[in-house]
Amino acid sequence: MDNHGGTKRSCKERPAELVQIGTPAAPAYWKSPEELHKGVHVTGEFPGGLPSAKSGASEASRRDFLAMMGFTLAAAGLAGCRAPVQNAIPLLVGSDQIIPGVSNYYATTCRGCASTCSLLVKQRDGRPIKIEGNAESALFGSGTCATGQATVLSLYDDARLRQPIWHGQPAKWEKIDQQVLDSLGEAENRKARISLLSGTINSPSMREIISKWKARYPNFSHVAYDPISFSAIRTANANSFGRAVVPHYLFDKAQVIAALEADFLGTWLSPVEFARAYAAKRKPEATPSLHVQFESGLSVTGSNADVRVPVAPSEMGAVAAALLRRIAGKAQSANVPDGSDPVASEKLDAIADELWKHRGESLVISGVNDLSVQTTINAINGLLGNIGKTIDLTQPSLQREGDDQAMAALVEAMERGEIHTLILYGVNPAYDYADAERFLNALQKAKLAVSFSDRVDETSLHVHAVCPDHHFLEAWGDAEPVASHFSLAQPLIAPLFETRAAAESLLRWLGDPQPNYYTYLREFWRKNMLPRQTEIKDFDTFWDRSLQDGVVVLASAGATRWPSATRDWEKTLHSVLQAQGPAPASRGDDSYDLHFYESVALRDGRHANNPWLQELPDPISKVTWGNYAAVSPKLAAKLGLEDGDVVRLKTDRGQIELPAFVQPGQETHTISVALGHGRTAVGKAGEHVGVNVFPLTSIKNGARSYSLRNAAVEKTGKQESIASTQTHFSMEGRPIVLETSLAELKNGESNEGKESVPTLWAERLHGEHSWGMAVDMNACTGCSACVVACQAENNVPVVGKDQVERNRIMHWIRIDRYYSGPDENPVSVHQPMMCQHCQNAPCETVCPVAATTTSSEGLNQQAYNRCIGTRYCANNCPYKVRRFNWYNYTDNPEYDFNMASPLGRMVLNPDVVVRSRGVMEKCSMCVQRIQLGKNIALQGERDMADGDVQTACQQACPTQAIVFGDLKDPNSRVSRLRENQRHYEVLEDLGVRPNVGYLKKVRNPIAKA
Amino acid sequence: MSTITVDVHGTGAGATPAPAQVLAPTPLVEGRPTLHQITEDIAYPLEARPGKGWWICFAIAFAALLNLGGMVTYLFAKGVGIWGLSNSVGWAFAITNFVFWIGIGHAGTLISAILLLFRQKWRTSINRSAEAMTIFAVMCAGIFPLIHVGRPWDVFFIFPYFPNQRGPLWINFRSPLVWDVFAISTYFTISLVFWYLGMIPDLATLRDRARGGIKKIVFRILSLGWNGSHRTWSRYEIVSLILAGLATPLVLSVHSIVSMDFATSLLPGWHTTIFPPYFVAGAIYSGFGMVLTLLILTRQTMHLQHYITLEHLDKMAKVTMFTGMIVSYAYITEFFTAWYSGNMYEQYHFINRATGPYAWCFYLMVLCNVITPQLLWTKKARTNVVFLFIVSILVNIGMWFERFVIIVVSQHRSQLPSGWGMFYPTIWDIGILIGSFGLFFTCFLIFIRVLPMIAMWEIKGVVAHGAHKIALNTDEDEREVVNA
Amino acid sequence: MPNTNTFVVATFSDPEALLQAVKAARAEQFRIHDVYAPYPIHGLDQAMGIRHSRLPWVTFWAGLTGLILALTFQFYTTVLDWPLNIGGKPDNSTLAFVPICFELTVLIGGVTTAVALLVRAKLFPGRREQLAAEGVTDDKFALVLKKRSIDLKHASAILRENGAENVEQREINL
Repeated sequence: MDNHGGTKRSCKERPAELVQIGTPAAPAYWKSPEELHKGVHVTGEFPGGLPSAKSGASEASRRDFLAMMGFTLAAAGLAGCRAPVQNAIPLLVGSDQIIPGVSNYYATTCRGCASTCSLLVKQRDGRPIKIEGNAESALFGSGTCATGQATVLSLYDDARLRQPIWHGQPAKWEKIDQQVLDSLGEAENRKARISLLSGTINSPSMREIISKWKARYPNFSHVAYDPISFSAIRTANANSFGRAVVPHYLFDKAQVIAALEADFLGTWLSPVEFARAYAAKRKPEATPSLHVQFESGLSVTGSNADVRVPVAPSEMGAVAAALLRRIAGKAQSANVPDGSDPVASEKLDAIADELWKHRGESLVISGVNDLSVQTTINAINGLLGNIGKTIDLTQPSLQREGDDQAMAALVEAMERGEIHTLILYGVNPAYDYADAERFLNALQKAKLAVSFSDRVDETSLHVHAVCPDHHFLEAWGDAEPVASHFSLAQPLIAPLFETRAAAESLLRWLGDPQPNYYTYLREFWRKNMLPRQTEIKDFDTFWDRSLQDGVVVLASAGATRWPSATRDWEKTLHSVLQAQGPAPASRGDDSYDLHFYESVALRDGRHANNPWLQELPDPISKVTWGNYAAVSPKLAAKLGLEDGDVVRLKTDRGQIELPAFVQPGQETHTISVALGHGRTAVGKAGEHVGVNVFPLTSIKNGARSYSLRNAAVEKTGKQESIASTQTHFSMEGRPIVLETSLAELKNGESNEGKESVPTLWAERLHGEHSWGMAVDMNACTGCSACVVACQAENNVPVVGKDQVERNRIMHWIRIDRYYSGPDENPVSVHQPMMCQHCQNAPCETVCPVAATTTSSEGLNQQAYNRCIGTRYCANNCPYKVRRFNWYNYTDNPEYDFNMASPLGRMVLNPDVVVRSRGVMEKCSMCVQRIQLGKNIALQGERDMADGDVQTACQQACPTQAIVFGDLKDPNSRVSRLRENQRHYEVLEDLGVRPNVGYLKKVRNPIAKA
Repeated sequence: MSTITVDVHGTGAGATPAPAQVLAPTPLVEGRPTLHQITEDIAYPLEARPGKGWWICFAIAFAALLNLGGMVTYLFAKGVGIWGLSNSVGWAFAITNFVFWIGIGHAGTLISAILLLFRQKWRTSINRSAEAMTIFAVMCAGIFPLIHVGRPWDVFFIFPYFPNQRGPLWINFRSPLVWDVFAISTYFTISLVFWYLGMIPDLATLRDRARGGIKKIVFRILSLGWNGSHRTWSRYEIVSLILAGLATPLVLSVHSIVSMDFATSLLPGWHTTIFPPYFVAGAIYSGFGMVLTLLILTRQTMHLQHYITLEHLDKMAKVTMFTGMIVSYAYITEFFTAWYSGNMYEQYHFINRATGPYAWCFYLMVLCNVITPQLLWTKKARTNVVFLFIVSILVNIGMWFERFVIIVVSQHRSQLPSGWGMFYPTIWDIGILIGSFGLFFTCFLIFIRVLPMIAMWEIKGVVAHGAHKIALNTDEDEREVVNA
Repeated sequence: MPNTNTFVVATFSDPEALLQAVKAARAEQFRIHDVYAPYPIHGLDQAMGIRHSRLPWVTFWAGLTGLILALTFQFYTTVLDWPLNIGGKPDNSTLAFVPICFELTVLIGGVTTAVALLVRAKLFPGRREQLAAEGVTDDKFALVLKKRSIDLKHASAILRENGAENVEQREINL
């Protein structure tokens, strides 16, 4: 891991002598966490595969290739034009250095959302094909979210711009650069304003570039805008604690969690990190944390809560106040706000007791973007002494920096024609701003509007120049999701099109004729990062280590000690509460609250053209392709609504029509609608799917509000289909998801007692392994990352809304969600369901052509080219996990999602065959990964170790709910879990003896609430 | 006993052995046709021009057949996705039709084989057309597995052929679908052989009637040079009895095996041990329904009332009623077993069958298969042609829905509620079902035009000679049965 | 020496008369070549003294062959040639083999019997029919005696008094 600075220098300075680079040196990339620690070993496709086995001996040559690839990709970025890219894949310089069919893993940083998780991306034959979490990351771990998993497909999106656009016409970069520079010069002369409107930017180097702009252009202003805004939290913290930041929440330190309308396991702020920390603290073997959720619509987080309280959005403030009242009472605080309880007082009492009992290790959060609510929350956390314990303001989160007031101000300025040149970076206000119309009109007033959008979207339709940014997998970059937690991004592939990194555009327009962001980034890190650590002196070593790890934690810069008690947040709270005035008057009978939320799949809608996400069933409603108005069963009964009945929602901000969906657990007077749908310009998959409800959001006392009061709802009599993948939500009392209580568990309700179901036949001899899986129902949050991960790993086709309605979705792993209890507020469970790999598989017996059999390693395997499609196996599968290709879903213009276009097919995994029409398919337990693992072991001349093979679903899971391994190895994690007293098999009594087992869900309710 | 009475009218009635006495108290053939007259009557439809009635039927049937061809072609081009199938319901119309048609076939074999063994002389005038029905029904059934998989070009995988390019990868002999393949092909072959052998003497008769031309050539080839030698006749009769003896267990095995497609699976509603007898009874029930439909139509359009008498209809109606009651009993047993088993999946399934979204299919089935047969208690009903015709149609509808209920309703709500779904037929499902009727009736209508739909030699045997033969050789008849 | 294709053919239209004639002919020690009729006349076997056919044995042996074939083939493929783990069941799932064993027994037994009949009766496509008399496939019955060692006059007398409508000497290739 050292003294290969020469490599890099040569890379930078002598691109001509590309071929000579590479004294034996560690590449800035590694194949797997193991490799990082145990050193590199090359893998081949075949056991003892000749080329790989040989090259295993001479790693240097391969490292040269990798190092070189790293360089050439940089070179690609450097010029941003075609010529160097030609050399980027150095097959020309000796193919003995590349091993076909062998994947490399590169650490980089996700840009799917502002959470900027650290990633490890699988690159195969020069193409990134699979996103995985970076286990090196202290924050995010090896897990990912569904959106992150899907971002790799966005790289191969047909709708991406092939080259820059000037006034709607393809243009040359030089031309556009000239135009922009002219316009900037003109603005400077005229003393007219120049503005950069961007999303949250947590890239340190990019921040520096922006500050350079400030220096270069005196009347330059930067406005950060998030469609899902957290600005109230920032303002509240400014008022309460003197720091306009979004704190870093430490769920793994919280013994009691109370969340108000914050879907922190699904979409809120940094779900992967939070899910990981949350699960770590929820292990029933330790003392699991208590989780209380106040929310209006049933969210992923709410479905995992121990206590879930449905509350209308308009009453969230009152709930916060009611909690504060109790806490303040217990704290004998000076001024206790008075008021009435919006929900059952004894519930609130019990919750307050629990919070108080765990002062300093509790956590109260709210996703309501409202100053008064957030200030109240601050007060509660302050009284509970959570600040600095579970809420870190000194090393805050930098994942949401949007400022609603600044945005509003900018729009006004634009309307006044003050903005001469406007640069849009990673934002799409024409779609997701509350007053999109207003923004568009104001946009016309700008002399020059430039967008870095990667496609022609609602906003870039109306700008003068579109300068397409790289996809993040093509770009260099860095990020600082949480203060002093840094992560680097490196390109996985040479830019597919004539795009240019936004940073380079900005540098270019600062006057740098040959901008090179790679160089810039390195220099920036040399200047700013190197000094913040003492471990490594040599920068190149530091850089390569950081690039290789992808993440680095550095001592926090500047003032970190935060004077805790000095600010009197109680006073501010009081003023705010007074300013807020009395609690809202009780509503009329026919007036309802509207609640707008981010859906787990589409989030704020920027990925709307990603078919994987469009077809990802919502973790709760299981609805794909489009949004709906979630109504409570009570309201549905009142209005005589059934799923699919179109309702008209009338609000003072206009009216919309949406199909209704009866959602158990929905607050009775609230109708929830997902944001992020109804894009009008994004690409063929995502256009006009669902309805855009951003226009119904509003700016309330300076903050973006995602709920509305006094909405009227009426039935239109129209019908619109809803493509749900699960239509029946009751377990009908069958032994499918088993639960136990913490008490029972502690009393050791053990597994010994129950004898296994007898079998008629003698045990069949297996090979040296017997692969199995254990799924912890207590850890699974239902986030659905595994579903997309499986889709990416196994080339699962997207089939479209019509086919999903016909119940023909192809996902190999699905997450079943069942309700129990009253449907006003049911208890929910999530159950990942994939092929159970039965040892007495009923599907096998009935196949006439022996197309499905049990392998010598206990896998239930499907031979696609032997299958004739009788579908008998699917009928006879009690788990209904088999999937039939009803049509040819691949390379078929009628199913034009990703597999029908040459670009989209680049994402396919070469290790997994693409299935054709008329054959049955199903979960293979990632047999290709098992094979690879065996080969690695073989070439390392060692036995396979537990954890050598991770299935795609297991790898993607942020909470480690899925464990895969060898049942023959008594010490493997999965074997031990099968001994766990919570272990059981679904439909055990059928005697099919599945190799996939489940761990019972553990319930831990508060006695009183 | 039978040696005393001699029935000069030669109907063989008074003197037939005991079981027949119950079933055949009245003449099998009305009037007293001479041997030549019989030949004339039965050969008439083959030599005369078809009437309007026949043309209308044929036009309709052929249109449906063309529709079948078109739809199947489209299906093979696009894939089985054009049907209403889904991840929950992978089998629906295609398999329902398959089981339905197989069932229809059974009545033919029953009449030709089992009744022959029981020496039911009344079968003589209907067995030929019943056997033809069997052949065509099995053909209709046979196309459905091919259509069902949607890729017929790969179906040969299901045969254990050699040499086998896929290494020594053989088929899975544990799969009921493989049993089906063997059962159906055996059934079809044996039925065809039986049918053809039975026709050879009549083909010879027609050959000798034909005055040259293509007709004569064809009949000459088909009749294999038959010349009525009695030495051949005597072997011929033995072989008929042997084939009948083989066909009888065969026909029972075929629907038993078909029922095992369901019985051996572990889907609630399929996983039932009473399926084999229950399916066989249902098959005969539906088969007789179809025989009634066909014969009532043909005896009217072909003017064969003398040969296919009300007496025949009456007897078939009795069999229909009897098997109908067996089927009803099976329905009740299913529900009882589900309740008595205490198995929650079984219990839920049968509650769902009677109260779920497909309940209407269930009640339609009950109406047609449980209530309708009860209307046949009176002789008056059994000999009312119009009434019988309606009943026979109802029987067919009922039995089709029985299979639909078993197949679709069981699948649409299986063990895991998350896998539940609905099946809604598309135009392609329905069109192909109608098409299969087109194929069936087209074949049958052509058959009654080009081949003797009544076995002349057998009619001659019972009409002209019954009394004499029986008076002399009843005991020997029994011995032949033993030999068989 | 008259050749072997010379026969005495007596035609009847009443089967009972024929039956009497056959008896009489045998009483006279005439060598009955065969009787031709449009349908099997019961009782004629005894009258003509036809021995029982051995065709049932063909059925038996053919059926047995089918059974053994099915059993061995299934065993060979699933146990010896390529055993596969199907549903955790033992390679030799004999019970599952029963249906196919039965079907093949019936198939081979039945078809062989039918073929045996055709072979024994020399019936095959393209064979030119040899009719002993007009209408033996319609409503006539014919008794055919071997000419050798028969006096035609005597024979025809006996046959006529037993109801033969016509007696003649013919050369047919029966």
